[in-house]
Amino acid sequence: MSRREGNLEDPQADSSVSLLPHLEAKIRQTHSLAHLLTKYAEQLLQEYVQLQGDPFGLPSFSPPRLPVAGLSAPAPSHAGLPVHERLRLDAAALAALPPLLDVVRRRQAELNPRAQRLLRRLEDAARQARALGAAVEALLAALGAANRGPRAEPPTATASAASAAGVFPAKVLGLRVCGLYREWLSRTEGDLGQLLAGGPA
Amino acid sequence: MPAGRRGPAAQSARRPPPLLPLLLLCVLGAPQAGSGAHTAVISPQDPTLLIGSSLLATCSVHGDPPGATAEGLYWTLNGRRLPPELSRVLNASTLALALANLNGSRQQSGDNLVCHARDGSILAGSCLYVGLPPEKPVNISCWSKNMKDLTCRWTPGAHGETFLHTNYSLKYKLRWYGQDNTCEEYHTVGPHSCHIPKDLALFTPYEIWVEATNRLGSARSDVLTLDILDVVTTDPPPDVHVSRVGGLEDQLSVRWVSPPALKDFLFQAKYQIRYRVEDSVDWKVVDDVSNQTSCRLAGLKPGTVYFVQVRCNPFGIYGSKKAGIWSEWSHPTAASTPRSERSGPGGGACEPRGGEPSSGPVRRELKQFLGWLKKHAYCSNLSFRLYDQWRAWMQKSHKTRNQDEGILPSGRRGTARGPAR
Repeated sequence: MSRREGNLEDPQADSSVSLLPHLEAKIRQTHSLAHLLTKYAEQLLQEYVQLQGDPFGLPSFSPPRLPVAGLSAPAPSHAGLPVHERLRLDAAALAALPPLLDVVRRRQAELNPRAQRLLRRLEDAARQARALGAAVEALLAALGAANRGPRAEPPTATASAASAAGVFPAKVLGLRVCGLYREWLSRTEGDLGQLLAGGPA
Repeated sequence: MPAGRRGPAAQSARRPPPLLPLLLLCVLGAPQAGSGAHTAVISPQDPTLLIGSSLLATCSVHGDPPGATAEGLYWTLNGRRLPPELSRVLNASTLALALANLNGSRQQSGDNLVCHARDGSILAGSCLYVGLPPEKPVNISCWSKNMKDLTCRWTPGAHGETFLHTNYSLKYKLRWYGQDNTCEEYHTVGPHSCHIPKDLALFTPYEIWVEATNRLGSARSDVLTLDILDVVTTDPPPDVHVSRVGGLEDQLSVRWVSPPALKDFLFQAKYQIRYRVEDSVDWKVVDDVSNQTSCRLAGLKPGTVYFVQVRCNPFGIYGSKKAGIWSEWSHPTAASTPRSERSGPGGGACEPRGGEPSSGPVRRELKQFLGWLKKHAYCSNLSFRLYDQWRAWMQKSHKTRNQDEGILPSGRRGTARGPAR
């Protein structure tokens, strides 16, 4: 985003200069939101493992980290990308998470019907992922760095397919999704922090 | 098999193809061609068993390259490694497990039985559901608030714990006609309760029962038959006021209003009052308060703060012969008796306004004396009202005398003080 020479008689110049503090405030706000949601994601993960029973909560538990269709973990090369590119990937992941979290919630409603707090957290997580994804996309648009290509549709999942799977694989899937949710939130928080440090220009 | 109360589920994918099967295949249980990784399948998948029963399970390994071996495989249950003597190699690629005398499941989502490779990696898992079928729910009790709704409560059954998620469903129907209805608002007054908010008929009996279902079976309670009019309760009496009775140090006057929700209905009302000293947990209950909205508590301690509550039983609505159901107690109302050097008797009773005799022993004897006096001594003007006036006068003159002589409470002499609060 280029900065024009200040000119009191040029309203357009005025607005572009005055936009920067506003944008910075928006970045700061979105960063704070990501930080808060990262904490919630941590709590969600803890509550989830507790309700699935051991070995899910044990430190030694290490199920295979196989990829989930439509969403992968942040790649090691992610950190080396330009910040705008990283934020685009963050927004795409945040858009992919809500249907996956919904599937996990529906399955947990069958497996742990009395676990109202877990079910509420899963529902909130889907909503919060959408909100943060929208906020990141808005920032990217304001920075002129929005994705101009066709938008990839997030994967849809069906409850009937979820209920057909075995219980143990469904528990592992839920763990994976909650783990990915936490990872992507943490990544988004970090990338927004870098954007804040570097400034919007 | 049923798995308890199910949340709303989407019936079909909005857009084909559904990606979840692919998503799940990537997690566990499916071989990955060319990857060199082994996976396995546990059989049976997610079995449901009775407590004390046995289980024979197998873990069959397959993968790429073929010829995967069962050598070195082991089992864990809820994270704990199972003793090797419980396992047996059935063939080159299958390890069997025999468990006997199973205990109830540790968590409602099922016990986690996992098959591990030699290096500890997870090859497959299966969840065991070990428990008991539900027992017949018992002790159903119901009440209607102001004849507008019905709330019912029940107990799960003699032994309670089934170790499996058990779904309870309250059903009801009009006795001689109508279809079965299912209550929808659960856990309103505890874990085993349900609230029917509307569309209830009066003057005709309902049949009410509870059905309990889990993975191992179902049970049904006995049917409770009731008429809404026989189980009516109401809100606590509003506007409870507690005040002193002049200078009488051992009495408080309690007034309240009849519950307004039932003002249009023909019924009798019984009331109960309970009261306690401020720093005590022991309530005293006054039972004999029938169909009046005021009462005088007597025999209280002077200079003491009391908390008072009132509740109502609206029995006899539209001629119902049943006892009715007590409301909740009103919010506590506090008041203090005037301070005095003389401590009053410890008993508690309700004195109706107008000075009628109460049931306290001193006052009972006095009543008898006054009755005798009226008969034999031509003292027609004697009454409890006169007696209370005399007591108030006695206290006043006692205080005045103490002030003149500079006597403080507890009998010590000192500077005269104003009246104690």
